[in-house]
Amino acid sequence: MNCYMNTISIIIDDQKLETDPGKTILEVCRENGIDILTMCHLKGVLDIGACRLCLVEIEGVNKLLSACTTKVAANMIVRTNTDRIKKYQRITTELFFAERNHVCAVCVANGKCELQDLGYKVGLDHIRYPHLFPQCEVDTSHPWYVMDHNRCIMCTRCVRVCNEVEGAHNWDVMNRGHQVRIISDFNSPWGESETCTSCGKCLHACPTGAIWPKAIVQGQLQKNPGMINELVEKRKMKL
Amino acid sequence: MNRQDLKTIIYAEKKKDETNKYKHKICVCCGAGCISSGSEEVMKKLQEEIKTRGLENEVEVIPTGCMGPCNQGPLMKFLPDYNIYQKVDCSNISTIVQSQLIEKKPIEDLLLFADSREKPFIDARDDPYFKKQLKIALKNCGHINPERIEDYLVHNGYQALDKVLFEMSPEEVIAEIKQSRIRGRGGAGYPAGLKWETVYKYVNDQKYVICNGDEGDPGAFMDRSVLEGNPHRVLEGMAIAGYAIGANKGYAYIRGEYPLAIKRFELAIKQSRKLGLLGNNILGTTFSFDVEVRIGAGAFVCGEETALIASIEGKRGTPRPRPPFPAESGLWGKPTLINNVETFAAISPIINNGGEWYSEIGTPKSAGTKVFALAGKINYAGLIEVPMGTTLREIVFDIGGGIQNGEEFKAAQTGGPSGGCIPAEHLDVKMDYESLISLGSIMGSGGLIIMDKSSDMVDVARFFMEFCMDESCGKCVPCRVGTRMMHDLLQKICDNKATQIDLDRLEELAVYVKETSLCGLGGSAPNPLLSTLRHFRQEYENRILQHD
Repeated sequence: MNCYMNTISIIIDDQKLETDPGKTILEVCRENGIDILTMCHLKGVLDIGACRLCLVEIEGVNKLLSACTTKVAANMIVRTNTDRIKKYQRITTELFFAERNHVCAVCVANGKCELQDLGYKVGLDHIRYPHLFPQCEVDTSHPWYVMDHNRCIMCTRCVRVCNEVEGAHNWDVMNRGHQVRIISDFNSPWGESETCTSCGKCLHACPTGAIWPKAIVQGQLQKNPGMINELVEKRKMKL
Repeated sequence: MNRQDLKTIIYAEKKKDETNKYKHKICVCCGAGCISSGSEEVMKKLQEEIKTRGLENEVEVIPTGCMGPCNQGPLMKFLPDYNIYQKVDCSNISTIVQSQLIEKKPIEDLLLFADSREKPFIDARDDPYFKKQLKIALKNCGHINPERIEDYLVHNGYQALDKVLFEMSPEEVIAEIKQSRIRGRGGAGYPAGLKWETVYKYVNDQKYVICNGDEGDPGAFMDRSVLEGNPHRVLEGMAIAGYAIGANKGYAYIRGEYPLAIKRFELAIKQSRKLGLLGNNILGTTFSFDVEVRIGAGAFVCGEETALIASIEGKRGTPRPRPPFPAESGLWGKPTLINNVETFAAISPIINNGGEWYSEIGTPKSAGTKVFALAGKINYAGLIEVPMGTTLREIVFDIGGGIQNGEEFKAAQTGGPSGGCIPAEHLDVKMDYESLISLGSIMGSGGLIIMDKSSDMVDVARFFMEFCMDESCGKCVPCRVGTRMMHDLLQKICDNKATQIDLDRLEELAVYVKETSLCGLGGSAPNPLLSTLRHFRQEYENRILQHD
């Protein structure tokens, strides 16, 4: 399997690793069992480096770079678990929770939520910033699905899966800053969408309880985000 | 048109100038600043006045770009004597024309700075306001009609393009730019020659040149004035860049809030195309280059290069992580050179006079001149260009005429929402990239807001944070939520409701947002806060509730 001619060696957290060039730092970490926190990353769609959870320190680079968008290079020395990075991961997580209305106890995704998991992973026991409590809509106009903006963390995984995998481009983003919202078509109710194929991929791509099927109640949500990449891989096969 | 045709046109224009029947030339500033104070009416009235006096064969009236002291406008300049009149209005035109052209005597009371100086300078070139300046990027602004390509041609226009096309290889052009040591004028100060060389080295059939005219810092209007006052200079710089890096297509991204700049730039493109200075086989050579304008829709973040590129591609204007840098993968994935308006405006003088000439101006690490937009509590607000390394004191007091109403200088804000404040004890700081960074500020694109004692520094920090919060694209978490949190904390301090814990949180967030944001907007958003904390910490602490 290994063609040594084409491999490069890099050091991640003091571990020397051989890997193929062209891979991202995140891919190499995951392949080697090095845990990196992510939220906007979803295997199967393009990475955008937006959640900033996967930031790593690279020797000789004065900025923190996102592991999901940075390619490995020969002799790169990467650190993923310094105190600084851990501190920033915690702040990012706190900001996620403070931004909108994340109330786990009454959320359909309770127990199946990537944001909740993230909270546990960084050891979040309280949030030091005031909750913003924005007024967010719940769009129930679609016959089968619900879009609850209260739970949305703007990872845009739904936007990318709809655009890149389904090819429908129903979802997009409007406004700026903390006013950003996911929109269906040109900001019309989801149920009136002319582009949505009701395929449900966005539901599986969503890491939280922002998009969910109507027929479930609190804590019953089942999501399968890994399905997105399986689908992408299957489509590559020539039948 | 080939090289000879261009020479013929220039010769004919120069001949026309030499055998000129006009004895006087009156320049009326028609930059956006003077237009807003009524210079178009002044110009109309002036033309009528000249006509009724039967002087139309002796006097030529031309509209020009910005002359500099914008808050003294409308400005009117009489050549060849350089008598500049300020705050001209339709009622005193007749008197000025009578005295200046008939009696051949300037009216001292109406001259530039007559109301603020003991005695105004008859020849404006003697005034320290102009004497301390060195105009390279702005050289022709205020002298030529920006809407006539012929005016630019007789002022050495397109000579640099001619020179590179016939006498220099792309490598030589890049070497010249490198030798000039010019650094990008958009704010970050990356060496332009190095950037050109990087793009040049990427082999690709298709490359692009982008001119970043999405100037958005509050109080900054350098790029606008260059585009309005001498659009051909920028076009020429872009074409030279295209030749050097091997691009045949350029885009000028100009913010939609600058309708006059867009109009004049588009007109300049049309005129250059007509003369064959843009388009296929420029001046009969194998080099082809064309430029299109793209109009920004009001997002500050689109000044960030990757967001700007997304916007040109027709996508939502949000930045993406770098690397890859635009030099490798830019517009539509092709190698792209992106420079600021002011950088392109400095290219043709560098080619004409040589890189060495340019490198000797300014300081060793920051060569050349920098255009600043002076604003705030300063007597002579407007547009200035000074050699790098000029001290802040010289800018504020010798050029800017000091603080309004004789108040005391408190701080100067440089670099807009990405920059910081320089307090009075550092008035002698040399204005160059390194010195400003060492004070916790940045050069930025050239906005310079002068503040007196009435400015509350916490409120200044809150204002810029509000700006960044509103202008954050919302893509990455630190900038989207972090700027909002910092703004709310600053508001709390302003409202005298904050405690020491809030201040600690604020400082922690500032460092977090600075280090983790995806692009330069978030990465520099905490700068005004951090620099005011550094130099004016007492003002913050005075507002913090004390708990014993």
